[in-house]
Amino acid sequence: METQYLFFSGKGGVGKTTMACATAVREAEKGRKTLIITTDPASNLADVFEQTIGHHVAPIAGVPNLWAMEIDPDKATEEYRDRVLAPFRAAMPADILQVLEEQFRSPCTTELAAFDRFMDFMDRDEFEVVIFDTAPTGHTIRLLELPVDWSKHIADSAKGSGQTCLGPVQAIQDSKAKYDRAIALLGNPRHTRFIFVLQPEQTAIFETERSAVELRRLGIESQELIVNGILPTEVCEQPFFRKRYEMQQRHLAEIRQRFAVPLRQMALRDTEVKGVAHLRDVGRELDGQPRVAAATGASETAEVRLSVRQPESGELLDLLTPRNGHGKAIFFTGKGGVGKTSVSCITAVHLARQGFKTLLLTTDPAAHIGQVLDTPVGDRPAPLPGLPTLWTAKIDAKQATEEYKARILEQARGRRSAEMLLALREELESPCTEEMAAFDKFTAYLDGDDYEIVVFDTAPTGHTLRLLELPFDYSQQVELLVTTTQEGGALRAETRSRFDRIIARLKDPAWSVFAFVVYPESTPVVEAHRASQDLAAAGIPTQLVVANQIIPAGQATNGFFRKRRAMQAKYLAEIERRFHVPVAMLPLMDSEIRGLAAVDRAAALFFSEPVLDDRGVVAATA
Amino acid sequence: MADTTKRVVIEIFDPPMCCPSGVCGPTIDPALLDIHEAILKLKKEHDGQLGIERYLLSQQPAKFMQQPEVIGRLKAVGIPALPITVVNGRLVKERAYPSYTELQTWIAEG
Repeated sequence: METQYLFFSGKGGVGKTTMACATAVREAEKGRKTLIITTDPASNLADVFEQTIGHHVAPIAGVPNLWAMEIDPDKATEEYRDRVLAPFRAAMPADILQVLEEQFRSPCTTELAAFDRFMDFMDRDEFEVVIFDTAPTGHTIRLLELPVDWSKHIADSAKGSGQTCLGPVQAIQDSKAKYDRAIALLGNPRHTRFIFVLQPEQTAIFETERSAVELRRLGIESQELIVNGILPTEVCEQPFFRKRYEMQQRHLAEIRQRFAVPLRQMALRDTEVKGVAHLRDVGRELDGQPRVAAATGASETAEVRLSVRQPESGELLDLLTPRNGHGKAIFFTGKGGVGKTSVSCITAVHLARQGFKTLLLTTDPAAHIGQVLDTPVGDRPAPLPGLPTLWTAKIDAKQATEEYKARILEQARGRRSAEMLLALREELESPCTEEMAAFDKFTAYLDGDDYEIVVFDTAPTGHTLRLLELPFDYSQQVELLVTTTQEGGALRAETRSRFDRIIARLKDPAWSVFAFVVYPESTPVVEAHRASQDLAAAGIPTQLVVANQIIPAGQATNGFFRKRRAMQAKYLAEIERRFHVPVAMLPLMDSEIRGLAAVDRAAALFFSEPVLDDRGVVAATA
Repeated sequence: MADTTKRVVIEIFDPPMCCPSGVCGPTIDPALLDIHEAILKLKKEHDGQLGIERYLLSQQPAKFMQQPEVIGRLKAVGIPALPITVVNGRLVKERAYPSYTELQTWIAEG
């Protein structure tokens, strides 16, 4: 039996899980033995199927031929670590074991371990269809890039001294054959289909293109798209939603034009998709059957009050402006696509207008802040035309890496032998270098005093945490510097004090404000909460949540949008329950924010008081 | 006079780090670059008669286990004992990397 592998990719909140589950139900009902697996720690697979699943293969009630499994990457890492450390527990002293265990806590290992489990499923043939509800875009790429890097890495280290950055060579060596088979399967269109799920919006187009190119580079050619969340025309009678409908249709047309791959459309629903029956409906629509018209009954649902604690008058501005005579660092964090870019731009512009010298910094290689502000953004800070107190810059990891490599090699030249320089150059090719270089830049901005306020439009959640976990790891690493030379000693002291300063700033709520940006929907809220807890564990409190795309009450004039607003109310309450901080709200707009004037209008809405009351504030029009 | 046909095996047991070259950390430790360079030089000079291996605790813990003297020092002193240098099975240095000169001497002694 030739197993079919389906990978669903897309950032959080696009409906990936729903599409994957609906497909799984459909395949199972066609008589194929199907397994759906998730490797996303914040997965709501169990929620969607309305049953518990867990870290093992579980049958789905009501659908014979369908099984599901949640691979918990944390658990996988633990199991992997225990397996590797088992032989040493008896002989090694406790402090050594502690160090060994620490080394297994790196993100490298977590990905390796999750991937190890994930590979198990590509090796078996008891299922006809295996569906991977993989983690969002950037992360997925890393997860899938691993086999290609590894095979090469293992081959290289087997030749050399046996060192790899990725853990005990022995453990990897044993799996080499397994990984080679995985690569072969991934690249074979007869076995593997890659399905991107996206919403018809601007940022999605760029990101999907980037992912598609990356996958093609890895040899994965078989790709298709599902454009989800499309407003049904029959519920968009009102000018506000009619405008949004037209905006979506324009993006849909652009997507069709840009991507010459099979494309399917999925309509937005008025509630969350849960349970087998609902999944069956979605599955049918996915398979090309005609869509059932959405109900618009105006009298169906009563108007919903959004009651969540919003910031008091002036509270928001107070929170975000410098105190005690020193600067401020504001981090907007959250999954890709929730509106971090908009919120960062709105905030930075508003603060700059108050007279503060502000830097808006992005680690997004696409630098979408540039699109919102309608200005080019480079890796050197530059003031915004029309608002000189606002500066913008991006941290381009690739660029930073090249600079870093050049600097290291320049320092070594003249002091080291030719062979040594060659060896150094090779070592600098490791993936660790890019991370180091980007982090180096990031900390330089954080450590500096050139700006009164720095607003970080940070990369999506998981990546942000790694960026922030690094100081804590590194300060430990710095302790371990072996050098006894004067030079080394001075270097260590300098690095140490720099990290101490940075860590102190990050942990001081007067200096740093961590704000999560979310949609009032399941996946974004759960993910944000998880990330928030991780930050709390590192001593960093979350001080603000921004809920984006809130449907203004005045625009919810039919049953469809009232039901969706009710769903939002439910999740706003969920946000309050989980975070215990004020929730600032950004309303859904009828057009994308583009250009300084539009940003100013949005800022007026965001910082005004009350921000959004029950009557709803009519969205800014272009 | 040194017996030039006798093969010398030097084993260096590294302290915990991400990679032995040192370029992956926040600061590049000159001591790591020095030992890397010394090894390159010696390998060139004694081609065929010299074996130099480095073991990272996090990546080749088994090698540590196979050396009772190394484990003994780790138990007595802890991680500060590393790096430990062993020449033909004999523990010759701990707490710091050997210099090029020291290594040359041990190789000459056989």
